[in-house]
Amino acid sequence: MNNIESVIICRCEEVTYGQLLSTAEKHQCTARELKLRTRAGMGFCGGRTCRVTVDRIVESAIPNISQAEIPLKYQPPIRPVSFGTVGDNIE
Amino acid sequence: MTDVIVIGAGPAGLAGAIACAQSGLKTVVIDEFIKPGGRLLGQLHEKPSGEWWNGIKESDRLTKEAQDLSVNIRCGVSVYNLEKEANKWSVHTNKGTLSASFVLIATGAAEYPIPLPGWTLPGVMSIGAAQVMTNVHRVQVGKKGIIIGANILAFAILNELQLAGIHVERIVLPEKGPLSGKAGVPNEVLKSLTDASKLAPSSFLRLGGRLMKSDGLRKMAIKFFPKNGVKMNGTPLLLRKAAVEIIGDQQVEGVRVADIDAEGKIILGSEKIYEADFVCIAGGLYPLAELAAVAGCPFQYIPELGGHVPHHSEIMETPLDGLFVAGNITGIESGKVAMAQGTTAGYSIAKRAGKGGIIDDLLQQAVQNVRTVREQAAIQFHPEINDGRKKIYEQWEELYTKKQNEYDDVKIG
Ligand SMILES: Cc1cc2nc3c(=O)[nH]c(=O)nc-3n(C[C@H](O)[C@H](O)[C@H](O)COP(=O)(O)OP(=O)(O)OC[C@H]3O[C@@H](n4cnc5c(N)ncnc54)[C@H](O)[C@@H]3O)c2cc1C
Repeated sequence: MNNIESVIICRCEEVTYGQLLSTAEKHQCTARELKLRTRAGMGFCGGRTCRVTVDRIVESAIPNISQAEIPLKYQPPIRPVSFGTVGDNIE
Repeated sequence: MTDVIVIGAGPAGLAGAIACAQSGLKTVVIDEFIKPGGRLLGQLHEKPSGEWWNGIKESDRLTKEAQDLSVNIRCGVSVYNLEKEANKWSVHTNKGTLSASFVLIATGAAEYPIPLPGWTLPGVMSIGAAQVMTNVHRVQVGKKGIIIGANILAFAILNELQLAGIHVERIVLPEKGPLSGKAGVPNEVLKSLTDASKLAPSSFLRLGGRLMKSDGLRKMAIKFFPKNGVKMNGTPLLLRKAAVEIIGDQQVEGVRVADIDAEGKIILGSEKIYEADFVCIAGGLYPLAELAAVAGCPFQYIPELGGHVPHHSEIMETPLDGLFVAGNITGIESGKVAMAQGTTAGYSIAKRAGKGGIIDDLLQQAVQNVRTVREQAAIQFHPEINDGRKKIYEQWEELYTKKQNEYDDVKIG
């Protein structure tokens, strides 16, 4: 149903379910590659809303992969921070 | 000089800080919210004993106890990275970097989203957001609501919304699909509700629990599940209806629902619209473990605990020297269990820091207390929590204790 395909999954980068699913199916890729290809989870919030959904899409698009095998990979910063904050050490 | 940095001022973090400070360690607690208390702040329910569990009071009590012990509680500070530098942990925050030999991560849990058409409309929120707005900020989220998702968290918060005089019209399931998983399958939902029935806030489910342990009976129950639902304190729980779309032009105006069979399949031609001005999506909780991950802690996926949890022992240590965890980051459980785990972690840190005296006894008592509180918990998020706990502790034995023993043998021999 088109209705479902047009559901926004990543709100920051406005990536839809349809885009994510077709990319995952076409490339049979890891969650990381799916993010790099679509920019889902790479916006301002750093994937705090869509991350688990992106993992579930990978799980549903790739046969024989389960949540257990999707590694929990996080990169700092895990919260939005300004360049000033990461650049200087404000004591 | 700070000895211990606690990340998260929920029940686990505050209890941990109290135990550390009582043992003579200089302790700082950091939390990104404006007030200490974590998820406790939203909680209000009547216990089976008839007493009330008032999370705000509990938070105030813990905060005062910590402050009386000179714990420095800093709110509005977000931790964005955690790394080991020169034998100490560096905790990077938006207000600068702190360092200490010991860190306790007690960052709690986050909610699973369930995306569906229309979920970006104003007026759609997670069930946890409705709780925070109602009980923490005292803002009325709407006049007529629908909850999508039937689980213990949804029922607990439904009850809180009702207490605040906010009208929730119905609880329906999400449409079955890859993004909703078992939450869209009536049989599965009934199974998880009846397994947790001794704790469920409805006498129907409480009675049903014992009856419906067998699969056959459960299927029958779903088949005969009343079309108008079972009332949860006045709000119908509709296990045979699924939300297909949230509709509205500028904001939520209603939810399009369809009848579903016991496996969640939509019955064609059964669609109708329920009016609403707010919608809460209840997808359940998972441990919020980002900081343990960036610190380099290994993980295990344990569905009974809610998702990926950092490797840890029953005394709350992780494989990384000086790094401890407590509360919902180790698995989804009630606030009281989180508190008991925090105390354990606090004494565990004190022991590691070389505090002698009665610390061994205190630690043992604390571990025992976690078990007791778990047994008696008034709210249980996963019926197989004990299996999940067993898995993670056995794994710890396998991976870390045995190795340690071998290492000790070598050293002695
Ligand atoms: C929406 C929701 C509703 C719940 N309702 C109930 C209920 O009704 N009854 C019940 O028994 N349990 C409930 N729980 C379970 C609840 O998580 C536990 O009861 C308990 O609060 C867990 O305690 P905790 O200390 O582990 O974490 P929390 O209480 O969640 O505290 C964690 C704290 O860490 C802070 N934090 C997280 N990350 C960072 C960071 N990077 N930097 C700085 N600070 C950070 C957060 O701001 C938060 O204050 C609910 C949980 C949620 C998410």
